Amino acid sequence: MNHRRRPDLLDLALRVWGVLCFAFLFLPILFIVIYSFNVGRLMVAWDHFGLDSYRIAVQDQAIRSAIGVSVRAAIGASAVATVLGTLAGVALARRGGRWVPLFVGLLGLTLVTPEIVDAVSLLPWFVWLGADAHVSIFNHGLVRLIVGHSLFASSVVTFIVRARVAGLEESLEEAAADLYAVPWRRFVDITLPLMMPAVLAGALMAFTLSLDNTIISAFVQVSGSTPWPVYVLSALRSALRPQIAAVSTLMLLLTLVALGLVALVLRRSGESSTQIAEAIAGV
Amino acid sequence: MEHRLHDLTPDEPIRLLTSRAMAAHLGRRAFLGGALLSAGGGLLAACGGSSSGGVSTSASATSTIGTGPVEGNLNIYTWSEYSNPDDLKSFTTDKGPKIKLDSYASNEEMIAKLVAAKGTSGYDIVVPTGEFIPQMAANGLLQELNHAALPNMANVDPQFLDQPWDKGNKYSVVKDWGTTGFVYDKTKIKRELTNWADFLDAAQNEASGRTAVLDAPGDITGIFFWANDIDWNTTKKDDLDAAEDYLVKKLAPHIKAFDSYPSTAMAQGEYTLAQAWNGDARQGILNSKDPSIWQWVLGAPKTELWMDTWAIPVGAKNVNAAYAWINYVLDPKISLSELTYIGYNTGLKDIEATAKSQDVELPDLIFFDSAQVSTMVPGEVTEAQQRIVDIWNKLKATAGK
Amino acid sequence: MTTQTAAAADRAVEAQDIRVRRLPSFTLAIPAWAWLLGFFLAPVSLVLWYSFGRKPGLFGTHTNDELSFDRYREALEPAYLPTFINTLRIGVVGTVICLAIGLPFAYWLAVKVPPRWRGLLLGLVLVPYWTNFLVRTLGWEIILSPQGWVSTTLMDLGLRDSPLSVLYTRGAVQLGVVYNYLPLMILPIYVAFERIDPALREASRDLGASRWHTFTRISLPLAGPGVAAGLLLVFIPLMGDYVTATVLGGAKGNMAGQLVASEFQTAQNWALGSAMAVLLIIFIGVTVAFFAILWKSLSAVSRARRGVIVIDTRGGTP
Repeated sequence: MNHRRRPDLLDLALRVWGVLCFAFLFLPILFIVIYSFNVGRLMVAWDHFGLDSYRIAVQDQAIRSAIGVSVRAAIGASAVATVLGTLAGVALARRGGRWVPLFVGLLGLTLVTPEIVDAVSLLPWFVWLGADAHVSIFNHGLVRLIVGHSLFASSVVTFIVRARVAGLEESLEEAAADLYAVPWRRFVDITLPLMMPAVLAGALMAFTLSLDNTIISAFVQVSGSTPWPVYVLSALRSALRPQIAAVSTLMLLLTLVALGLVALVLRRSGESSTQIAEAIAGV
Repeated sequence: MEHRLHDLTPDEPIRLLTSRAMAAHLGRRAFLGGALLSAGGGLLAACGGSSSGGVSTSASATSTIGTGPVEGNLNIYTWSEYSNPDDLKSFTTDKGPKIKLDSYASNEEMIAKLVAAKGTSGYDIVVPTGEFIPQMAANGLLQELNHAALPNMANVDPQFLDQPWDKGNKYSVVKDWGTTGFVYDKTKIKRELTNWADFLDAAQNEASGRTAVLDAPGDITGIFFWANDIDWNTTKKDDLDAAEDYLVKKLAPHIKAFDSYPSTAMAQGEYTLAQAWNGDARQGILNSKDPSIWQWVLGAPKTELWMDTWAIPVGAKNVNAAYAWINYVLDPKISLSELTYIGYNTGLKDIEATAKSQDVELPDLIFFDSAQVSTMVPGEVTEAQQRIVDIWNKLKATAGK
Repeated sequence: MTTQTAAAADRAVEAQDIRVRRLPSFTLAIPAWAWLLGFFLAPVSLVLWYSFGRKPGLFGTHTNDELSFDRYREALEPAYLPTFINTLRIGVVGTVICLAIGLPFAYWLAVKVPPRWRGLLLGLVLVPYWTNFLVRTLGWEIILSPQGWVSTTLMDLGLRDSPLSVLYTRGAVQLGVVYNYLPLMILPIYVAFERIDPALREASRDLGASRWHTFTRISLPLAGPGVAAGLLLVFIPLMGDYVTATVLGGAKGNMAGQLVASEFQTAQNWALGSAMAVLLIIFIGVTVAFFAILWKSLSAVSRARRGVIVIDTRGGTP
């Protein structure tokens, strides 16, 4: 029998609250998108409607360079974090041991430390490595960005993959073992495909986190490899122009497309929306 | 049951249970690809990144430095809105290097960055204010300049060369000079403000909560010293204590922002009263919807005389491009174009006459007569610098309460 | 003969298995270990080390020739302590507001919305989260700007007679951090509520409990871990926030993150900056521990009074 009540006052109130929350969440984004069509000297002062800022944004060499650096760093950081995190997540889930609490503690520490502390500690470290210890690769802007972005992301990917792998039943792998598959084949043919949604979610998270990373980037970056958020941060000092809103709108569209693709892939592989949310929230 | 060993060769994947067998192949490729990516990425970065060696800073080898073929990039670390974008573009068109600008709000910030980076900052040009140069040079942050690569130095008005803090222009050449004052909104502050004491008074009354001060330590403590007829380069403990006491207790609660470039926020109506450098004030007034509401006041009875310079930091990679830019900007035509945009006197011969003949806007915010110049006192970096930075930090913390 | 071959095959696979299993169990985790050790633990330990040093003169950044706790004393001086208190205040208030907004919203999304819409709406919640943090904050700068649309509209409507001056106040920072970290509160709570078997709620209703009782005695406790996760996910990064305070705060929104940054970036006092950074971490840790202990004791007290133990579908006690 269907137990559904007629919607009543409380349900209505909750629905109104939901709508209000959505409005709140989207308000600034809406304004950014609207003001990206502002033709004027300052982003925040509306002058008149037009597409100029998009044209200027696309032609501006500094903006193009900043986006390029951001995307390249994100790809690199995502690759590093995904590989490290996947391996570590599998190790945590499949192989227990006395080392587990220590390792989880280290990962937790990465997540809990304020980003500003990471930032102020990484710069002297990179400088020491690059200038004093003569490991000159650390003077390279992109390398610094990739390393800096990969720290938090690795922990996130580890937890996502661990949660997923822990939920997998070992019976599939045991069955494969019974059929004489060697451990490597078991991993590659059984475990890896089954945890692929988590790995993908982790890679996407790492990519987004890297694109978004502002503070660490601001501290460790080398001039010439300035990522997008740092460009905006320094534009904040002088004058925010509508181009910034234009580029942000474009990047938002890009992120939406990426999000949509991943959701599609996860859906195809049978994940429910809750599982996707779980994966993304790292819970 | 019979198991035929050769039927179960390792090459044959176990097709088991699900259609995810397809995903298995994809998974393996993606996994290996990922591993390769991170390794390859590292390799690529290593190959692409390192440049050829450091730059020599010894005076003996300077004869050819800066005269070679210009590189493709130029990274300038400078103040904000401090170069005409048209000049940046024309430089790229004429000479080649693509210019990238990063900005800072105070000399302390720029120096902190260079010291922390130990030559790896990536910047080819910095724009320090004169008084900081002796210490920067002593700490190995700046390269000596090869004047042979800067023929346009001959265009500079001699009274702006050979300054006491850089005799012989070993490390720097003048970019522009200016002073410090304040602007206020005449519609909100109905009385006439004429000096720093008025500034402090208005900040605590009509403009309380809508006042901006420069985000630079010396300029903030300077307000107190100039208003109270104390040498702003003082190192006496009593003077500094008095400054800290007044600024932290009386001024800090009324400050809305520490802003070295109030021109932007001025245009948005954020401030009623703002301490500003003359060129930035000029930009703010010109960009306002209604310029007539603003009144500029030159700091009185005393104020600052600062001179910003072009300098090349140690570790600069695009040295030839750096020299090319500095030389380019010292050309009279380009210099005038810079002046009209940034609103500061660039110190070239006859630039004032030329600018005025071309009807530059708001010339009294750019050019000052000798009476006014006599009230301007150049700054010095003394042993009180650390104390001044501490006062500034305390001010910021207190203002944020 | 076949059995012998089969046995040989078994032993071969087993042997390989054993060989692999003899590898220490943490082998796969070694790359991550090394990476985090080298690029996280090492530099952060360095910061801890610096915090015991001092600044040697104008252009030096740090030296550890004399070790002392002086920098900590300096960081807690009356000039700087208010900043830490302010940060704590913004942190706690911000987290509580996020909870107040996020909990009903997550409940609505997980329980009231028909299942086929949940995925889409959840995605919509994530869209702002995926926008660049800085850009989201700049959006608020546009909204709150005195010359912005909101300000002019309010004045036109006669609701205000002077331009909006919310920007560059503590209020703006509070609003900004709540906005930026709200999705981090919503997500774990949504997951927690969604996991609860609807049958439990129905059973409670069938047994005569009111909707409020069902919520407080069944749903909320079962969602407890999710709420706890949300609180942590919001509070901790919020305390270390730097961007929101810089964009929306002006002088008023001074937070500890900015203090640390300015000691490194402008004052060149790495020793003091390091001490402040360590203090920030300690503040966060102590606050979390304090509230955890408070929560544990409160729930122990209430459970004792009720005399009821709630068991979830997995057989564990929340």
